[in-house]
Amino acid sequence: MKPDLRALDGNPPRPNAGPGFENRILHLVKGGPERKAIEAGEVDAVMDPATGSALLLPEAQGALRQDQARVRSLLALSADWCWEQDEDYRFVAHTGAASGSSGIYDEDIIGKTLRDSPFDSMSDVDWRAHRRLLEWRATFRDLELRCTDRAGEMRWVSISGEPTFDGEDRFKGYRGTMRDITQRKQLQTLAQKRIRFARDTFDALAVQVWVLDSAGTVIMANKPSGTFAADGLGADVREGANYLEVCDKARGNERVDGAAIAAGIREVIAGGSPLFHHEYVCNSPAGRCWLDLTATAFPGEGAALVVVSRENIAERKRQERPPGPGRKVAKGGSAANSLLAALPRKDFQRLLAGLKPVTLTYGEVLFEPGDPIRHVYFPSDCVVSLLTTVEGHQALEVGLVGREGMIGISIALGMDRASVRALVQGTGTAMRMDAAHFRKEFRKSLPLQGELYRYAHAKLAEARQTAACNRFHTVEARVARWLLMTRDRVGSDEFPLTQEFLADLLGVRRVGVSQAAGALQRRNLISYSRGTIRILDRKGLEAASCGCYEVIKDL
Amino acid sequence: MRRKKAKQRASGPAVTTVVVMRLYIANNAPNSRRAVANLEAICKEHLEDNFKLEIIDVLETPLRALADGILVTPSLTKVSPAPAARIVGNLSDKSSVLHALGIEESVE
Repeated sequence: MKPDLRALDGNPPRPNAGPGFENRILHLVKGGPERKAIEAGEVDAVMDPATGSALLLPEAQGALRQDQARVRSLLALSADWCWEQDEDYRFVAHTGAASGSSGIYDEDIIGKTLRDSPFDSMSDVDWRAHRRLLEWRATFRDLELRCTDRAGEMRWVSISGEPTFDGEDRFKGYRGTMRDITQRKQLQTLAQKRIRFARDTFDALAVQVWVLDSAGTVIMANKPSGTFAADGLGADVREGANYLEVCDKARGNERVDGAAIAAGIREVIAGGSPLFHHEYVCNSPAGRCWLDLTATAFPGEGAALVVVSRENIAERKRQERPPGPGRKVAKGGSAANSLLAALPRKDFQRLLAGLKPVTLTYGEVLFEPGDPIRHVYFPSDCVVSLLTTVEGHQALEVGLVGREGMIGISIALGMDRASVRALVQGTGTAMRMDAAHFRKEFRKSLPLQGELYRYAHAKLAEARQTAACNRFHTVEARVARWLLMTRDRVGSDEFPLTQEFLADLLGVRRVGVSQAAGALQRRNLISYSRGTIRILDRKGLEAASCGCYEVIKDL
Repeated sequence: MRRKKAKQRASGPAVTTVVVMRLYIANNAPNSRRAVANLEAICKEHLEDNFKLEIIDVLETPLRALADGILVTPSLTKVSPAPAARIVGNLSDKSSVLHALGIEESVE
């Protein structure tokens, strides 16, 4: 409501007082009750029919003037200043203490519309939209405009306005406030620049990066994270997807790595560990690659909890691989044993205290049948053959243990002595534990018992299946089965292998293995050169193998 | 015009219909402010929701006040029910306001 204080607006203000004023009032007010009220000081204004206006009595006039002064002084304190526009939206007034420091002077805007004023941040379309608002007599708020002041500095103002109407509801123009928001805008621009810089840096990283919240949902992923999308496990995890779910859902050869990665990330999220590291191998249409995944706790505040980064380290791995013979099976990539990875965090932590990483070398015999088992082993990236010896014959392979299993399972079944020979086939690392310590831990941990009973059962079934397989199936099918099983345990399509050795393992004559390998090679399922086997067509090889592979794989 | 209220709910034997009133004031001047406060208190106590009040600022619409025959502000007029009545001043004399509005003061 805008008071039409014409009596107040005179400059200098002329008070409605004096004998002349009193006479005028008495002339206007003749009725008894009205005069009485005036004498009692209960009246603020008297109507004057001659001028069609209200005459304020001195006391009321003084009070309203004080009100106005108060508003003015508050306005002087604020960062805002006021403006008024006429019916044609031209500025007619521009007041307030802050207006001087704004860099916008009266002559810049008085008599001009906002469109003609030196503001240059709005397009024609913006202006038309604003003009429409004015024609609707709408109130507008926080219209942000940019101009260049006389010193050549860029300034920003925020303008709000409302329409004004006279007593007959006729549109009189607009009035409102203006505020200098240059500083805020400068800070905003700076912040945006910094954010853009940070984002560009994030995207320019050579490694793939995902930032996860406590539920494992990807809240940020950098550009490279979407580029080698064919790189297997967790490759295609976009912002908004759940990284842990993708790992949990991994199938086939990726299941073990998926479980290990998910467990590791959950551990970091739970605060149990500041860092998780996992190396693994996966196959993509572009070929096999080694990946190095690291999850670190996010130190900042907010939703983000874990940063997962992944790097293709195939090149480094190739350089690291020691040349020459002595390694029957190439070193695989995974650093985690899946039996251990499957344990709940608490159980795993307790077990970890007694576990020691050791390197097992090709040809090393961990125990012979009848030997007391001194240690149990959880292979990380080595492969161990379990062989049964029969007098007068070569040892026959009855089991193959990689990172999916454990050596020394007899201990868990209450047997202290070995029933097979454990021969290291592929050099690599394993976690070793003292047998006595293991016995104690095994009794304490139900999840460990569950995992190992399940594993023991699978091993038993595998041995049964292998026995039947060795008796009934062709050498070619058995060679195919063994290659596939080794591939799964090594995590690689390529590994060194001699035909003599394979013949020994399978308990057949060397010539039988040669014929079988030759047949598989002619069908382009494998290639064989200089002691190295390479699986070219896994699906084809599966078809060539006996059904035993499928049975054992699914155990 | 600042506010209008209307709701059917009788609070006493004297009030059975909605009382329609106009209060003429001069912006935020002291007596005008007092008159609004006094009238609001009286309405709350005696009329509950059975009233309609229009507040007219004579500084904004002086012609309206002149047309209504107003001489001084604050002034309160009762438009309905009949008979029409007018009272001037800051309405601090409660009994004369009630009398003008045709409300009998309760005996309690």
